Amino acid sequence: MVELVFVTPFVTGLLAFVLPRALSRQLLVFTGAVHLVLSLLLWKNSPRAFFAEYFAVTPEGLLSLLVISLLFFLISIYTTGYLTAHQLKSENVFTGFMLLFLSTMTMVTLSDHIMVLWIAIEATTLASAPLILTHGSGASLEATWKYVLICSVGIAMALLGSLFLTLSMELGGVTAALSFSALSPVAGHLDPVWLKAGFIFIVVGYGTKMGLAPMHTWLPDAHSEAPSPASALLSGVLLNCAYLGIFKTNKVMVAAGLGDFSGTILIVFGLLSIVAAATYILKQTEYKRMLAYSSIENMGIIALGTGIGGLGVYGAVICMIHHSLIKSSLFLSSGNILMGYKDRLIASTGQMAKKMPRTFVAFFAGFAGISGFPPFGIFIGELFIIMAAFRTGHYLAAVIFIFSLCVIFAGFAKQVMAICFDTPAGNGNTPTSDSREVSFKEPPGMVWPQYVLLLTSLILCFFIPDALYQTIVDAVHAIGGGLQ
Amino acid sequence: MSLYTVDTLLSLVLLSVLFAFGSSRVPALIKVMAFQGIVVSIIPFFITPDMETGAVIFTLVTLVIRGAVIPLSLHIAIKKVAIQREVSPIVGYHASLFCGLGLIVAATVISRYLNIPAISDSALLFPAAVSLLVTGMFLLMARRNAIAMVIGYIMLENGIYLTGTTFSTQARHIVEFGILLDVLAGVMIMAIILQNIKQTFDDVDTSLLRTLKE
Repeated sequence: MVELVFVTPFVTGLLAFVLPRALSRQLLVFTGAVHLVLSLLLWKNSPRAFFAEYFAVTPEGLLSLLVISLLFFLISIYTTGYLTAHQLKSENVFTGFMLLFLSTMTMVTLSDHIMVLWIAIEATTLASAPLILTHGSGASLEATWKYVLICSVGIAMALLGSLFLTLSMELGGVTAALSFSALSPVAGHLDPVWLKAGFIFIVVGYGTKMGLAPMHTWLPDAHSEAPSPASALLSGVLLNCAYLGIFKTNKVMVAAGLGDFSGTILIVFGLLSIVAAATYILKQTEYKRMLAYSSIENMGIIALGTGIGGLGVYGAVICMIHHSLIKSSLFLSSGNILMGYKDRLIASTGQMAKKMPRTFVAFFAGFAGISGFPPFGIFIGELFIIMAAFRTGHYLAAVIFIFSLCVIFAGFAKQVMAICFDTPAGNGNTPTSDSREVSFKEPPGMVWPQYVLLLTSLILCFFIPDALYQTIVDAVHAIGGGLQ
Repeated sequence: MSLYTVDTLLSLVLLSVLFAFGSSRVPALIKVMAFQGIVVSIIPFFITPDMETGAVIFTLVTLVIRGAVIPLSLHIAIKKVAIQREVSPIVGYHASLFCGLGLIVAATVISRYLNIPAISDSALLFPAAVSLLVTGMFLLMARRNAIAMVIGYIMLENGIYLTGTTFSTQARHIVEFGILLDVLAGVMIMAIILQNIKQTFDDVDTSLLRTLKE
């Protein structure tokens, strides 16, 4: 039953390679819907996995799974419109790998065995690489090359870290199964030196995939070169999957009484990422790269919150959910902008409020949400993290965090204003001024998925269903977090 | 007796590491990599006392993939695109060789301070695993030729596999097989990207991949 959730998209993904184009598009949406239903069933029953040694339903996995499922369903609807507007040469390959990508990410959320988690995370790299290569240009080739090589090497480090975990079990005389759920209760017996070493390697490894600085260099390239629906998936849910690896390992660390050690490492990486994003976001000339740097910032915030602990972990999980919802809507909107202006440079856009009013609403609301304006959830998450930082005495971290947030907001706002309201530079006196005319018609299927994503984020700020709230609390509780 | 065999094989791996540091040609690097792949995959035959049928089959599959399939696929990739066969070092060969020597010495010294029961029998297991790992890292960082970088990644993987066979007695073969499949698929994808890079840029020097920055 549990395995069905990732086997289904795997099978349909293979089918999509051979089916005719129109059918494979429908299959994409259909699989998205089936996947969503299956995930909701998991929420309702939380059954035992058939291969209980390798897979298990955990609170943090359930959270990520629901986010993945909802996002994929909406993105698949957008993708149908995208593929109609954008004749891809190898459309079947694209839809096929989208589904395989969904399958591997689902497997990440349900893995319990340490090595199976590694296998699943490496598989997400392999399934998503062809998506980045879709356009086949020199730049997308470069982005794919960097992505595959940097992430593979990074994740190899995580494999080494996982081996260190097994060594710490051996030295500590622990004979439990090699799974996160079995290790947590006996974590106290693990050999602390090798456990620490393992954690460092795992954070570096999965942190590479998550986009933590200084291992983030592949991220802006990959996210800007991929087709927009793929960027939305990469940024919205793939990063969460890598975070899940760190989260689960951190759970073992906290259970072993090494929470301070792991917390400090996460805080340092988190702050580095936030500062790196603040430095680079100011001088971005392309809007998709700007969004990618914002993802690095948010991953930094999540790592920081997890590291601080207590209320901070709760804030981090809130940030994770809302970042997925909002950032994927922003990337989908950026796909519309790209189709309207036919250029990735911010300088070539302008007056979107007038030319593409519906996309403008989604993009601007998304901007407000991602930079932490009060009605959206990121605001609450960041507020919790700052409060936790002050409570636990991480004053310096809090100051750096708040300062970087201000810088990022300023940089982000300037660019977004330029996209939405500015008259394109050199417009008045050159004869090419009318070439900026936007011919993109904004079909409803390419606008309302963004609206639904943003609305979901908005609703979740005011009303969290009990089941969801309880799952968040359960997930957070395991690493010493809570609402106190 | 078998421990002597292991140490003899591993000393050859250490020599091949030095060769990899000093080698300037891609085909030679591929041969070194294939040799290391073969050695790390047959090590379990010598250090595991009583092997079950499943373990034997898995070890043979590993041998075929690490020793033959991966090197051959890279070989075909360079044959097909007639790639320029110099590895374009960032760090020169003499300096590289010196790094290699220092690495082997450091790895041997460190291993004497580690108290790991599983590897205390063989004097060279840990140094060989670490040397392979770091050699892979070195090739990734100090060579501009894209194929040399892929070879570096595979050496890194071989080193991790060697570490894994020595450390973990309890990992299941199905899991190990999953890891192996991931590595294989990764190398295949890299080989495909290599061919595309060659077609687009007419070279595999990664200094050409400079359009995306910051």
